[in-house]
Amino acid sequence: MDLYANSPHNPMTAMRSNNWPMLLAFLAVFSACGGEQPQQDQLQVENSEDSALVADRMKKTKNIFYNIPSPMETASLLKKAGASYNGKILNDVKNVDKYTAASKQALNLGIYGADLSYASVFKHTQESMFYTSCSKKLADRLGVSSVFNDSTLEAMERSQNDRDALLDIISETYWNVDGYLKENGRDNISALMIAGGWVEGLYIATQVARTNDSPELRQRIAEQHYSLKDLLDLIASYEVDEPALNGVKSDLEAIAALFSGEEATTAKETTVSTEGGVAVVGGGNAQSTLTDDQLTAIRDKVAAIRNTYIN
Amino acid sequence: MRNVRTPFASTLLAGALFLVAAGASAQCRSFAKNKCVPELAPYKFNESFNAAQLAPGEEAEVNLTFFSGQEYRVMVCSHPILGEVNWKLVDANNKIIFESLADEPKHHFDLKAASTMQMRVVVWVPTKGKSDMVHVGCVAIMVGFKE
Repeated sequence: MDLYANSPHNPMTAMRSNNWPMLLAFLAVFSACGGEQPQQDQLQVENSEDSALVADRMKKTKNIFYNIPSPMETASLLKKAGASYNGKILNDVKNVDKYTAASKQALNLGIYGADLSYASVFKHTQESMFYTSCSKKLADRLGVSSVFNDSTLEAMERSQNDRDALLDIISETYWNVDGYLKENGRDNISALMIAGGWVEGLYIATQVARTNDSPELRQRIAEQHYSLKDLLDLIASYEVDEPALNGVKSDLEAIAALFSGEEATTAKETTVSTEGGVAVVGGGNAQSTLTDDQLTAIRDKVAAIRNTYIN
Repeated sequence: MRNVRTPFASTLLAGALFLVAAGASAQCRSFAKNKCVPELAPYKFNESFNAAQLAPGEEAEVNLTFFSGQEYRVMVCSHPILGEVNWKLVDANNKIIFESLADEPKHHFDLKAASTMQMRVVVWVPTKGKSDMVHVGCVAIMVGFKE
């Protein structure tokens, strides 16, 4: 039996098999994601010698949060911008067992999480379940199974025909994993997961733009420089010499350089008016856009970086 | 005996404090999940965990990106032990777009972004006169968006 017959990388099969019992497909891919857990490397964690450094960092950043648009919000923006769904560009579920180092597991938890959000927002439920299984497997290896467990999978399975409920469960799970990691002093894992999700979101957007290019989609891609700055600030808040974080920081800085010019625009004065009882906030920065060359450069750079994360 | 007991007691105390802090953090997530997230409806929760234990006099802030054409709900949710908190939404030039003060609190602000922009939510917990008791409670800054 080909365990990958229903993989998202066989879209024809996935499309045709909508009537198959969900559980069968789900079990098949979960088996595909199964196997012995390989011995994993450890990401640097704080020890007693580092505690003063960590305490100092917490003191400085204790009350400053870095809000990076979630994979779900990014996928939703892409859909509104007229993007289409292309399951072929997503990370192969077969890759999940490659990730033995904690840093790779964290990055790919973010990547599979973004793929899961993309598939779910575009209502590709079966693929959503595949990516959920892979995400859960990585969450288990990272020790966050207490907030992402079998009951989460069961709840998703029960909600497979209710898109809104499914999106709510995915959002809550992502939030629980992020919150759990931060509460347990594993902010570096959380940052890698967020960075992986952000890179995958930009990768999806730039790949979709190959066939679905539109001014709206280009604008959404150009606007990613805002969240990129916040993401770099988040990573810069870790004053630890962590090779994985340092590598991701360099990667993100290389992407940021390609957005040059976007951040230099002068903001107009912010205005507030009311429309149907809702405040409309206007002004601010000029509309972002990208030249063809910029879009190509960003697409190629993000694809190359993402390739190092998933392989 | 005293020399032996002191490090032991210190370790025990440090351990107890760590457990209390970890427990308080978990309670913060639980509080935000149970009390704050439901109030975001009908907006979709943006999944970011922006919550911390704050004491009177302390501040928290977060930068937020609002995308053009999108509708958002920005909400600040504080544990009753702290009472009401002050918060404001300011633009890149620190111009106040919305403000809620503890004596006339508003827990959320709904907005539509006409253009993509970054704004900042600043929360500060008011101090309440002289008291030896310092209450620490969870404050969550939540954002919801309309799909």
